[in-house]
Amino acid sequence: MKFLCVPCDKPMTLQTVGPSDRGSLSVVYACPECGYEMAMLTNAYETQVVQSLGVRIGPSTNDAGEFAGQPEASTKGGCPFSAMVATTPSANERERVGGAGGAQPPTVRWTQEAEARLARVPEFVRPMARTGIERFARERGASEIDEQMLDAAREFFGM
Amino acid sequence: MKTYWDIIGDGGSRVLEQVTAQRARIADGLSGVRHLVAVGSGKGGVGKSTLTLQLAHALRARGLRIAILDADFNGPSQARMAGVQGALFVPGRDRVSLPRTANGIGVFSIGSLIPESAALDFESAARGESHTWRATREFALLAEILASFEWGALDLLLFDLPPGAERTVQYADFLGPRTSFLLVTIPSEVSRGVVARSVAALSKGSHRVLGYVENMSGYYCRDCDAIKPLFASAASSDLGVPCLGTVPFDPQLARDCDLGMPPGALQGRPAGRVLNAIAQRLLDGLESTELHS
Repeated sequence: MKFLCVPCDKPMTLQTVGPSDRGSLSVVYACPECGYEMAMLTNAYETQVVQSLGVRIGPSTNDAGEFAGQPEASTKGGCPFSAMVATTPSANERERVGGAGGAQPPTVRWTQEAEARLARVPEFVRPMARTGIERFARERGASEIDEQMLDAAREFFGM
Repeated sequence: MKTYWDIIGDGGSRVLEQVTAQRARIADGLSGVRHLVAVGSGKGGVGKSTLTLQLAHALRARGLRIAILDADFNGPSQARMAGVQGALFVPGRDRVSLPRTANGIGVFSIGSLIPESAALDFESAARGESHTWRATREFALLAEILASFEWGALDLLLFDLPPGAERTVQYADFLGPRTSFLLVTIPSEVSRGVVARSVAALSKGSHRVLGYVENMSGYYCRDCDAIKPLFASAASSDLGVPCLGTVPFDPQLARDCDLGMPPGALQGRPAGRVLNAIAQRLLDGLESTELHS
């Protein structure tokens, strides 16, 4: 969708995207010539159409969740179904993290470089990737996950 | 007054830019894959997933580099059958490494991420109206998977498609002309009728159909060491594409699939011999496609 300032015959440019309010987005465009501003207010269906494409409306944020060439998560941001992945771990996963009432596993620290690599994982895979790698590191007595540890995991699992 | 086509860019919404960038990333990620083959049917319950995995094993046994993308997001079964339910997802330098079976077949399945007791769900701004957007969201998920995982150098990437003749065509449109199709039916006129519709729909879109496999074509009785009929009447309607083989139902195989089929499970059994022949015909068909393109 593009917007045209009819009096100036100039394409309008996006200024701000407001946070989703009950499924509605407020997207403000302005004419670079006369400065006239207008807002596009989407209904939930329109918001969902864009969200379903797996893209985000607006300028790049360069946050941890984005990487070159990869569409940003959604207009709403965040994982499309991470809540389900995070709240309904598989039996294997429950076993790995100690199970209900089990002892809390020791904390494992991620280096900045390893975190950056994890950030490239799609959001719907990330919680499981994090848990699995931390378990792999703990099993080897490591308290830190760096790029070498990630490469070791790849090699170990024949990837 | 300017029209849509007079204006370059989209004023900063970046929607098209993101979609274009992702398509480029998918093309780059699949550039090392020699053949893309989608295993579909139109009909559900005919054994597409089982056949996909069996073919993958048969092809792998020939030393080929194989991966499977389980595109049946609502009924993923490859994770269980291939034994990658508890797979570890390791971030590589650019993309995520693909979980692998014991014999080295790469497998992506949503079943590795979501327990079988849960249904795939998406966050939505239009809750309760999923019929208006769900298919688009699922294809966006497929695009994200294709763009994010490390497919590397492969001889074949097999797509295990969901049921539905219309879905088969949607996947064909999404995957594009590089993808060839293998259809699966069972020996019933009902199933062949649905598969015939898929053939017709795919042909209309100029998609390449390599042929079909008739699954559950009789069953293997271990006691008699013979194939016995499973369906009352032998179906004979012409599907208009070559039959690459008929696979007998093997109760042992069904059990193996439930438990996570080990590589070579079918070796020496009638179904295994037939699958090897089908794998060869599939490769022949793909080679012939290459020669003609």
